[in-house]
Amino acid sequence: MNDDDIDADVTDRMLLQRMSTGDRAALSVLYRSYHGRLCRFLSRLTRRPDVIEEVINDCFWVAWQKAGSFHGDSRVSTWLMGIAYRCGLKALRQHGDEPVEDDPQSEQRTGDHDLDEDRELRDWLSKGLDHLSVDQRVVIELVYGVGHTLDDVAVIMQCPVGTVKARLFHARVKLRNVLPALAGDSPKHKENAP
Amino acid sequence: MTFPKSSDRDCVRAWDAMPWVLQNSATQEQGEWLENHLAQCESCRTEFAQQMRLRKAMSLPADISIDANVGLRRLLGRLDTPDAEEAPYRSRSRNWLSRALVAVGLIQALSIGALGVKLWSTGGSPAYRTLSQEPVPATTGTIRVVPDAAMTLADWNALLHALRLQVVGGPNDVGAYTVAPMSSTSTTQALQQLRTTRGIRLAEPVAVTP
Repeated sequence: MNDDDIDADVTDRMLLQRMSTGDRAALSVLYRSYHGRLCRFLSRLTRRPDVIEEVINDCFWVAWQKAGSFHGDSRVSTWLMGIAYRCGLKALRQHGDEPVEDDPQSEQRTGDHDLDEDRELRDWLSKGLDHLSVDQRVVIELVYGVGHTLDDVAVIMQCPVGTVKARLFHARVKLRNVLPALAGDSPKHKENAP
Repeated sequence: MTFPKSSDRDCVRAWDAMPWVLQNSATQEQGEWLENHLAQCESCRTEFAQQMRLRKAMSLPADISIDANVGLRRLLGRLDTPDAEEAPYRSRSRNWLSRALVAVGLIQALSIGALGVKLWSTGGSPAYRTLSQEPVPATTGTIRVVPDAAMTLADWNALLHALRLQVVGGPNDVGAYTVAPMSSTSTTQALQQLRTTRGIRLAEPVAVTP
């Protein structure tokens, strides 16, 4: 954990402490601070914006209720990610049989400000992640996307570190096998894909 | 699978170190060691380049656009009505339980309704009569019997059972019972047997006035 992470955690703990006394301004600050990373994290679980928003709000609803009982055994970010992960899995069980296709409007909105290189990267990553299980995608996001350690991921996913290691290993092996072949695909090809 | 051979321990070590070097959580020693190894190993260099690309792709913002302000407004609204908002949250997870309870309630209501209809259709006259009620008017085929005062209840019951008779009235002021034969017994036969039975002081058919 570097100095920035330590400073951020101190701030988060302060916000949580204020939340425990019913301070909604503190909740708003924490909500905005984590909204982006939770959006991306949960987009690895589902492609439905309505479900993602619902899960984020469920997560902060729980955080609001339990802010007073946070004992600081882990970083606030680890604690929040763990809540979001469990809320996300619950949402997947409830909405798992519903369509999860990309929202075309959302893609259009993102595409408007996406650079070509970013769009290509997204497309490449998206095709690679399609080969992974939900838990493998979550581990990859937490390690490569958010920058959590194995111990943090084990806390978030509530499983032994060995399990996290195995999931990370298998996810990396799969990606190693499929990503080079996908590197040549251009985003334009997606339109012609079935 | 193109995972490095287990014999090449350096490549395995490099593979293990890559994610942590990329997220700057590896020690300086680990970072320097990996840098040296990559300078000598083309395979790991290619792998590391791909890992860097993966890290870059994973670091891009979410490609699903969700307005944080709209979500926050909804959350704050939810806090204002905690009970109303918590209920659907709970109901999603316990949906099956609610449905089962509703189904059980419906079945109970229908059963009670059916029972009520059945009782109503059987009419209001109960299948019993209390001692305080007026005696049922004697019908054709009934017999008035006066047992001896010394006759035990067990003997009286055994006699009625043997002759297939049942008490339909009495005892009245003088201790007379009104008995009626059951379906398969004739009144005449029963009357004769009663008269020959010890302990029966009187056995007479009831005269019905039209």
